[in-house]
Amino acid sequence: MLQLTAELTRGAFHLQVDCHLSEPVTGIIGASGSGKTTLLHMIAGLVPPSAGRIAIDDEVLFDSESGISVPPHRRRLGLVFQDCRLFPHLSVADNLIYGKRLLSPGEQRFSLEAVIELLELGALLRLRPGQLSGGQAQRVAIGRALLASPRMLLLDEPLASLDWRLKQQIMPFLRRVRDVTRIPMLYVSHDSKEILDLTDRVVVLEGGKMVGAGPVVDIIQDPRVLRQLRLQGLVNILPLIFMSHDREGSLTHLQLRPLVANACGNPVDVSGPLLDAPTGRDIHAMLRPEDIALARTRLTGVSIQNQIQGHVVRLIHTHDRDVCVVDIGIPLMVEISSHGAKMLDLAAGNPVWCLFKSSALQYLGHPLN
Amino acid sequence: MYWLSQEEWVVLGLSARVGICCAAGVAIPGIVCGWLLARTRFPGKALVDAILHAPLVMPPVVTGYLLLVVLGRRGLLGEILFRYFGITFAFTWKAAVIASAVMAFPLMVRSVRIAMEMADPKLEAAARCLGASPLRTFLTVTLPLARPGIMTGLVLAFARSLGEFGATIVFAGNIQGETRTLPLAIYNSMQSPGGDAAALRLVMVSILLSLGALIASEIMCRRFSSFEKGIE
Repeated sequence: MLQLTAELTRGAFHLQVDCHLSEPVTGIIGASGSGKTTLLHMIAGLVPPSAGRIAIDDEVLFDSESGISVPPHRRRLGLVFQDCRLFPHLSVADNLIYGKRLLSPGEQRFSLEAVIELLELGALLRLRPGQLSGGQAQRVAIGRALLASPRMLLLDEPLASLDWRLKQQIMPFLRRVRDVTRIPMLYVSHDSKEILDLTDRVVVLEGGKMVGAGPVVDIIQDPRVLRQLRLQGLVNILPLIFMSHDREGSLTHLQLRPLVANACGNPVDVSGPLLDAPTGRDIHAMLRPEDIALARTRLTGVSIQNQIQGHVVRLIHTHDRDVCVVDIGIPLMVEISSHGAKMLDLAAGNPVWCLFKSSALQYLGHPLN
Repeated sequence: MYWLSQEEWVVLGLSARVGICCAAGVAIPGIVCGWLLARTRFPGKALVDAILHAPLVMPPVVTGYLLLVVLGRRGLLGEILFRYFGITFAFTWKAAVIASAVMAFPLMVRSVRIAMEMADPKLEAAARCLGASPLRTFLTVTLPLARPGIMTGLVLAFARSLGEFGATIVFAGNIQGETRTLPLAIYNSMQSPGGDAAALRLVMVSILLSLGALIASEIMCRRFSSFEKGIE
């Protein structure tokens, strides 16, 4: 659990954050220059705040009033940098154990073997950082941070320098780190997709100010939060299970894994693009809010493959588009024109059908996609 | 090298000893000063920088004279050292080491400083976040990253010591078997009638040694950079 109240003034830039983070994974979203990286560096101890208090669990790391400032090497926080920062004079294996070597056996939470297996680093151990690809280097950097047995992982845009295909290769590793190690994570990114794939709890920064903190579907009511999230690519992430493949129709049938049983209590079927994956396997898929249409009744005579019933939870008006949160077992964000919203006469509680083409679904964490 | 006389072998041995002691002597102070100049800010830094570099621009004879004034048996510090500890430097081989170390020090500091300025502070921050104390970070990250510069500095110090003449002759004298290093022996041979052949031999030895040191440092640097790239 991280308590954070901090201020920092640097020239014209003023950073002010006040939050209390208790989720296993919290994303920090904001445009470049909004203070995301500075915030992480403050938590890690690399940048002292001008004023404030930072505490993790019950240990105070920084307190301007009592003059406490724990140096970075005693904070036990694993910072993973965007540029990896592997030591060029050490082999991959020596990079991995750099932090681990400084701990007593009792303080070590992971064995080298476990981390090598988790991040599939076995083939890289004898290489030098200069020989690694961007994705490999980032996996080594994550492993190195884990082996230092941090109380919390601070990830500073770890995927920003990678292309889409490489990002999809690394995301499953990050999910594995989240699920296997259970170390709390703070994940900074200017790309909402990455964050929403890991968690729905976010802190939104705009020009150094914290404009919102909490589950995405709850905080998008704030126009500043919604604006930022849309700028950084607001998407729905659907947790799905592969059911069957229709090779002739070039479709894959999936089922939604609901957080809670939906209104009708029926399993929700979803069709997506054909993907050769074993039945029963879990996958995350991305669905853009602007790729979904709403209807008051189920339509017939349309080619759209997905028609999912739900009910309106919330309607948010902005100057050009409306965002409607629909509960289909998970909250689904739908972006429609204000005119469309008026035409349907939508209000909270209304039953609606969410329509989207199978091709609008993009599988995540699947490099073949 | 059968063509060197017994006396010339003594000169060569002494030069090597003075050169190695000089490089060893400037190593740690040079690393510390290089780091201070590269990474810290303190009042009077420009002045310290100027004083450290002074031997590079002053006539070596002046440096030798100042050393004699400070460390000579009746010098400011020398007198205390002699009276209470019985230590004398002037006109011993140790004086030759001190003279060449003072002359070589700026070269060492310069190459260490440049290397430390090149070593990425971001890597040091990464080490700190992995649990390394500032001292450990310096020893395990900064120092290894600056290794090529340190190596170059040491070779330069060794080479400077082999060539040092002015400060040595003033502070250490020209004593056969004690302070007569290569350049002094060359000078001596040139002054003595019929010594031209001996001077030429020593000149060739001197050239070989200097080139050898440079090539050795080049090889060390190349090996280091290929290690980083993994082409070993």
